[in-house]
Amino acid sequence: MNRRKFLLAAAGGLTVTFSFGCALPVIPKRPRPDLSDAASWIRYASGRYLLTVPRVEMGQNVLTAMKQIACEELAIEPNALAVEMHSTAAIRRARATVGSESIKDFALPLAQACATLREAIESGAGTGMIVARAIPQEALRSFARTARFVGKAVAVEQAREIVTGKPLYASDVRRSNMHFGRVLRANASPELRSTAISMDELAAAKVPGFVAIVRDALLTQGRSEGIGIVSRTPGALERIEAALAIRWQTETEFDQSTIHQAIDIDRRTINGGLSNKVHRETLDLTRPWDVDIRIDVPLAAHAPIEPRVAVAELSGEGRLEMWVGSQDVFYQRDVIAKRLGLGEQNVVVHGMRVGGAFGGKTICTVELEAAALARASKLPIKVQWTRAQEFRHAFHRPPSSHRLRARVRNGSIEDWSHQFASSHILFTNAVLPPWLQRLTDFIGDDGVARGSTLPYRALNKRVEFDLARLPVFTGPWRGLGAGPNVFAIESAIDECARAANVDAVAFRLRHSVVPRMSRALERVASAANWGRALQSSDPAIQRGRGVACGVYKAMSYAAVVADVTIDHGRRTIRVDKLWCAHDCGRIINPDQVRAQCEGNLVWGLGMVLIEELRVAQSQIAATTFLDSPIPRISDVPPMEIVLVDEGEPPTGAGETAIVAAGAAIANAIRNATGVRPTKLPLRYEYLPPRT
Amino acid sequence: MCESCTPFLWVAMMFLKVNGRTRDVANEWCDESLLWVLREHLGLAGAKFGCGAGVCGACTVLLDGKAARSCLFAAREVESVEITTIEGLSISGSLHPVQRAWLEESVSQCGYCQAGQIMSAVALLQSNPNPTDREIDAALDGNLCRCGTQQRIRSAIHTAAKLARGGA
Repeated sequence: MNRRKFLLAAAGGLTVTFSFGCALPVIPKRPRPDLSDAASWIRYASGRYLLTVPRVEMGQNVLTAMKQIACEELAIEPNALAVEMHSTAAIRRARATVGSESIKDFALPLAQACATLREAIESGAGTGMIVARAIPQEALRSFARTARFVGKAVAVEQAREIVTGKPLYASDVRRSNMHFGRVLRANASPELRSTAISMDELAAAKVPGFVAIVRDALLTQGRSEGIGIVSRTPGALERIEAALAIRWQTETEFDQSTIHQAIDIDRRTINGGLSNKVHRETLDLTRPWDVDIRIDVPLAAHAPIEPRVAVAELSGEGRLEMWVGSQDVFYQRDVIAKRLGLGEQNVVVHGMRVGGAFGGKTICTVELEAAALARASKLPIKVQWTRAQEFRHAFHRPPSSHRLRARVRNGSIEDWSHQFASSHILFTNAVLPPWLQRLTDFIGDDGVARGSTLPYRALNKRVEFDLARLPVFTGPWRGLGAGPNVFAIESAIDECARAANVDAVAFRLRHSVVPRMSRALERVASAANWGRALQSSDPAIQRGRGVACGVYKAMSYAAVVADVTIDHGRRTIRVDKLWCAHDCGRIINPDQVRAQCEGNLVWGLGMVLIEELRVAQSQIAATTFLDSPIPRISDVPPMEIVLVDEGEPPTGAGETAIVAAGAAIANAIRNATGVRPTKLPLRYEYLPPRT
Repeated sequence: MCESCTPFLWVAMMFLKVNGRTRDVANEWCDESLLWVLREHLGLAGAKFGCGAGVCGACTVLLDGKAARSCLFAAREVESVEITTIEGLSISGSLHPVQRAWLEESVSQCGYCQAGQIMSAVALLQSNPNPTDREIDAALDGNLCRCGTQQRIRSAIHTAAKLARGGA
């Protein structure tokens, strides 16, 4: 048997405790995967290969992509390779599955480890572990044009299990004698201090299925005290909650206007510049501007269809086993081990397929609830958040407010100013207490800045932003700041093209400083037959086309064309068709890159036309999908994807097209109606009356 | 406590007809929703919890052949009903045309909503063997997908219609 002995992970999280009782939060570790890590991902025994995927599967179908690479290098058929998700006991520490970096950073070491294993087997190596060799990329089969599996459509891993209803997700886990838990909190944002002042424990205990009420400091989330309940059946939790009738005391209050005022860009700039600089050239502020628009983007939810869920089971020997639907399996282990005072070696966390994450399942919330309830009740416990808890206890895409100004002379951008205000993303208030978050004010927040670098030529540029801690939790959402920032930029660039009286594609190509973005733009313009005029003979119907493009994390490129119809009779805005050109370098699985593009286009559509999370009475107002809708099948138009692969190294596809999709739709609405969408989401009733 | 399902104290239970089989349901589960009984008591994890309010469609099953939200029914309300879940779609290992179409079109991303989508599609094709895009949208509008697989769901339903017409 050939195998690389897997090493125990490095030392645990920070353990400093302050005299005022405030422990430093555990910070996720982000090691770069290397060859010795990769050796722990692949094993061989008696003709069978096992690939333990160091990434979390949440719909990007990374299990399939990594299987393609492994089969390519091992020169084996897919049915000779078993693929499994990772637990903290199975492989060396792998960092969170975030940032569209699984292929970019993990493909090469995986290919090298598998190629080394193939060489060893070919040379008759026996049992033991082998040291993976740093084989250069050009010598690997996966990156050659002659690849058998890479670059082809292959059977998708776990697809058959999905369509036959097999258990795959943390919510599907069942343990012997498993009970159900929930943690009750005040009807207030967890950012506000709230405590239970009374409850009817006798009434709760009479509910059939009642097992326990748990009070434990570990159940505090943010500054919200949690009261745990445990029951024999899941439905009994509702009845226990009703019978318990907890009365809560909550400090301070806020509403929607609190949020608006905190990030209102025009209030922020009254006293001059903003604290974080992306481009810091000096602009002439005395002359008039040719373009001057304000863009406001609201709070939005991740809205995964699988609400956060975890199962925890404590064994007699003080070992804790957990099953999670998290983007960061090792981080869950670190936090649980530290908060419960268990050694890392006593906590094993199994990563299960995740029912949608989109940046939201990156911190430890429901996992800690399940672990604390399992410890208190000495029972295996499943906790799955209700939909209302998903909206009210999770963190969200921060709202942002943008002021964009430009001067255009002789068809060229002379001055560019983009000022914006938002709340934290990487340094999320869902994890960091205010005093610790303030330290980050000096270093900004790369998540908020993402996508704000101008990919166009301008003589003078000023791009700067402010961060405000809001009374609701904000954090990473698909594309982080890049969605809203590129939406704002591409809206203003469209206005610049109009000011210059130049075609929107030609203007972008003339100003682009990113050749691969230009190439994507040319490809999408050709696919959509850009320049073709849209006709409408019905006076109640306006039609329009728009284009936008963008760069994600300086690695992937997208351009989108949108056709829209404004129907004044039905009072609707409809997207009729979307075209997208996408370049993430060498493509491992074209069909799944296409699927990621489609998903991103739907997210862009939702962002511009549908999604908004409102605040009322000191918390997120939404409790159901009716209060915070997401795109439905009837909202989704036909989509045509053009994949660009000219052989550059592989990057990522999970969050690229969203940067261009929203603005292309907004620019099409502008083209159809003459009205610039400035406040999202744009609904028909927000359009000014026709003149 | 459930009155209709406690004929004898020592066999306190009720019966459900699930995927052509009669299944015992213990007394303490009678007041639970059909979804929780299927998932947590009978171990049929295909139907998913998404909202608990009948809004997202992830828990869709067939009740006497009609698509229904299993989170909205108490188990005891469906005692005399033929319940079909996604686990009951394939017959002796051979996939239903809708399941085959879902694989052919590589519909799933995260996959969590897909059991509900598939059950709604099966119900649609039973009443309308050759639906238009517009009819598909109307029938599936209550099945939410966050990953953005809607275009593929549409084409998979057309594919399934063809597979069903072509037999086996």
